[in-house]
Amino acid sequence: MAAEMTKTLSDLPVSATRFIGRAVNRVEDPQLLTGRTEFIDNVVLPGMLHCAILRSPYAHARIKSIDVRAAEQLPGVVAVVTGEEARRTTQVMASLPPEWGTYCLAADKARFVGEPVAAVAASSRYVAEDALELINVEYEPLTAVVEPTQALEPGSPLVFEERGTNVMLQRVLTWGEVDQAFREADQVFTEQFRWHRLGANPMETCGIISQWDPVEGSLTCRGSFQAPGHMALGAAGMLGLPLHRVRMIGHPHGGSFGGKGGARGVGITALLSRKSGGRPVKWIEDRMEYLVAGGSQSWDRFYEVSLAVKKNGTVTGLKVQLVDNMGATGEGFAAFSTAKPLASFTGCYTIASAQYDLRLVATNKSPQSPYRGMGPPPHNWVLEQMMDIAARGVGLDPAEIRRRNFIAPEQFPYTIPSGNEYDSGNYEAALNKVLEMSAYQRLRQEQAAARQQGRCVGIGVVSTIEPGVFDWNAYAIVGMPMTGVPEGVTVSINLFGKIIVRVGFPLEGQGQYTIASQVLADYFGMEMSDIVVVPQDTLSAPPAFGPGGSRLGVALTGAILGAADQLRDKLIKVAARLMQTEPANMELMDGKLQIKGVPGAEMPLAQVAVVMLTRSDLLPPDIDPRPEATYVWTAPGRTQPDEQGRAKSYLTAANACHVVMVEVDAETGKVEILKYYIADDCGTRLNPATVEGQTQGSLAQGVGAALLEEYVYDDDGQLLTSTFMDYLLPTIYDVPMAEKAALVTPSPFTPLGAKGVGEGAMHTTPAAIMCAINDALLPLGVRAHEVPATPNRLWKLIQEQKRKT
Amino acid sequence: MTAPRPIRLTVNGVSYEAAVEPRTTLVDFLRQDLGLTGTHVGCEQGACGACTILLNGQAVRSCLMLAVQADGAEVMTVEGLGGRDGALHPLQQAFMEEHGLQCGFCTPGFLMSAYELLQQHPQPSDDEIKEALGGNLCRCTGYMAIMKSVRVAATKLRAASPAAAGTVEK
Repeated sequence: MAAEMTKTLSDLPVSATRFIGRAVNRVEDPQLLTGRTEFIDNVVLPGMLHCAILRSPYAHARIKSIDVRAAEQLPGVVAVVTGEEARRTTQVMASLPPEWGTYCLAADKARFVGEPVAAVAASSRYVAEDALELINVEYEPLTAVVEPTQALEPGSPLVFEERGTNVMLQRVLTWGEVDQAFREADQVFTEQFRWHRLGANPMETCGIISQWDPVEGSLTCRGSFQAPGHMALGAAGMLGLPLHRVRMIGHPHGGSFGGKGGARGVGITALLSRKSGGRPVKWIEDRMEYLVAGGSQSWDRFYEVSLAVKKNGTVTGLKVQLVDNMGATGEGFAAFSTAKPLASFTGCYTIASAQYDLRLVATNKSPQSPYRGMGPPPHNWVLEQMMDIAARGVGLDPAEIRRRNFIAPEQFPYTIPSGNEYDSGNYEAALNKVLEMSAYQRLRQEQAAARQQGRCVGIGVVSTIEPGVFDWNAYAIVGMPMTGVPEGVTVSINLFGKIIVRVGFPLEGQGQYTIASQVLADYFGMEMSDIVVVPQDTLSAPPAFGPGGSRLGVALTGAILGAADQLRDKLIKVAARLMQTEPANMELMDGKLQIKGVPGAEMPLAQVAVVMLTRSDLLPPDIDPRPEATYVWTAPGRTQPDEQGRAKSYLTAANACHVVMVEVDAETGKVEILKYYIADDCGTRLNPATVEGQTQGSLAQGVGAALLEEYVYDDDGQLLTSTFMDYLLPTIYDVPMAEKAALVTPSPFTPLGAKGVGEGAMHTTPAAIMCAINDALLPLGVRAHEVPATPNRLWKLIQEQKRKT
Repeated sequence: MTAPRPIRLTVNGVSYEAAVEPRTTLVDFLRQDLGLTGTHVGCEQGACGACTILLNGQAVRSCLMLAVQADGAEVMTVEGLGGRDGALHPLQQAFMEEHGLQCGFCTPGFLMSAYELLQQHPQPSDDEIKEALGGNLCRCTGYMAIMKSVRVAATKLRAASPAAAGTVEK
């Protein structure tokens, strides 16, 4: 291990950086723009079959019998599998909390609409879908339980009878003297909130090609896997295979946002491939499958939140009660989403005490999955609503109450009551910046003028933390036992002096291969075109996780710098030998190995690499002759959680302040976003253009969350939003082109001072828009407590109020 | 299943004759039969625009058409946009320089919609850009950089060919 890792920009062995910190073009783009990127559905393997999946039309039904004989007789059909086979030959899928998993095909009863009950492998997808129509399933419909209120009632139908309850997990975590804070408060505000389900919906659905090797007893899967290593673990567990007999090959994928981690597809295609004698079986999820039962649905929440406030606006206590409708199983690891709020529970504020009372409830909805932000976006929404309510209660402007409660710059690193430590920040500076950009006082005047005309115009001012660089320890309260998420790379120099960096994750869209190229080009004084990034499968890659929890920009940078430092040390040893001096006298600078203080006494990097690869006779005796190094980075200083779940979990705390102005049409309930301003601080910006892209893209998802996106179920557990005509994604007409400003408070804990930024505005935008809507509705005397604030919901609120008055 | 029918069409300047089942969608035909996998399938519901191609110069969704309906047509896909030597079309170049893509899955559809727009309106207003791209969904970028890419491409194309603004070489 390198003695002291390169930590800051000035530690890099170049006179001046040329790429880091610049909005350089992405190395990924030429192939994407010409349609040449190998997305999984582009892949055709010899003998490949196509899978189609038969899904339950009932939310809750016992499967009495399945007859697949007619399907098996259809020309072109090679294999059919059912839940009976899954039960016989596989394990239930991993689940959190544990013990809430099912087989990849429903074995005894279906627990949600869209749950796979049988699958076919055939010569084409068309034929496979024809075959589904020939499968005869006899169901005995059971009463479905759709909402937690119902699921918690005594005598309610049970999703898992053997569990005896629908409560998957219940915990009350208390941090600090919270009851005392509430007793001693001048005012206490309590409200209830409802966040409806929404989800990831990347433009590419999930896709898998599984190939069973019947001779070796091994499985190879190619697919759109967000984290191939994690997927391999899940698949091995489910299929009862040792991990070295599972090879996952991650393909570039068309976005994920947390929604590409489900293992069901791997299990189903693996069983079909085994039954087909080892022919590869491809399953490309269609959009309806994705919407109904794919890795998409997130955050189905009922909140009751209380805030203890002093007369001067100081907030002293926060209590959050959460009931989360997890859906039918814990297979998607969505329970993490209820634990991650611990990483930023009290937001940007010095709230000294807090309590979190959470219940995870099983119902007959589709299982939840992770989604961008992984849980804090609804939490931030309720906290920020409460801050606005408190501001009005004590007679302060929303901006002012936030200012009064901010953690001050000199307080960092700052440990919040729920145990996480924020690395750095200057929240007041971000607030000042966004107020200045938006000409906040003038906006308020414009609002007053609009109100005079009877228009419902409102302004939201919201500050939030984006926890970055996830660690498993954050999820301890829902049963995750680990600490530390490794990200490893191997950096090599080839015979021509060019660099190959091997990584353990596929392209996903955030531009990490570009960041890798920027960092290495600057480190070794090369051009970005001299670097090539090669993704590895799970049997070849060093320990790696990939993107998730806004970690990869930081983790990859750390891994690359660690490997580069080790490689540099090796090159120095060789060059010192060749130049007949001591390694201590030498340094790497601007791509050359030189004797310190002796101008001209230098060797280019390429020359040293060539000697290492071709002249073993010239090398020092104790050297490993590869111009190559592998380094596995994990976040430093992470701790095991205590009994209340307190841990140093997420390494970085980026922050943002948003100001948004909206108008609500009181006649229709439609919301129009008039203006949008963002000041954000994610530390060092490795590539400002990709950071801005993450912010704007995440803003779009936040707009969708606040105004449009919702999985609507009826009382029988049928999903009513199974197409993009019903599940509304934001279009170019819906997303405001936000004006943005950047502040840079580098993290003292990360390589180069960068903070996680991938989840971005999703943490802030829903809260900001909802605050603005409620500000707009103020004169009407109503308040929106549900997300999304669809026209219908707002219209109903307004109408009910009109009837009352 | 019905017996395959013969069709004949031109794709990116190359003539093809094929026999397809009548139920085969045009996008499946392009991707699976011709191997032109640059056109992507996002929803098969006509709602996302990822499969947008040009059919006789008009942007259409290839997931909502059957291949037999394209008999006799001239089709252009993203593979026909740049040069065979890998050179990027100015529109593609602008998307790269303005960071108009992230995962890039929706991008071929956006490029084809934008290409049609710039053919018809070499100097489009922002409203015209929005109208042209309003049927293409992007989940990554938040559209801002896409808008800018199209604006920049329009400027580049006009500068490259001031006399015949809007017409570009294939």
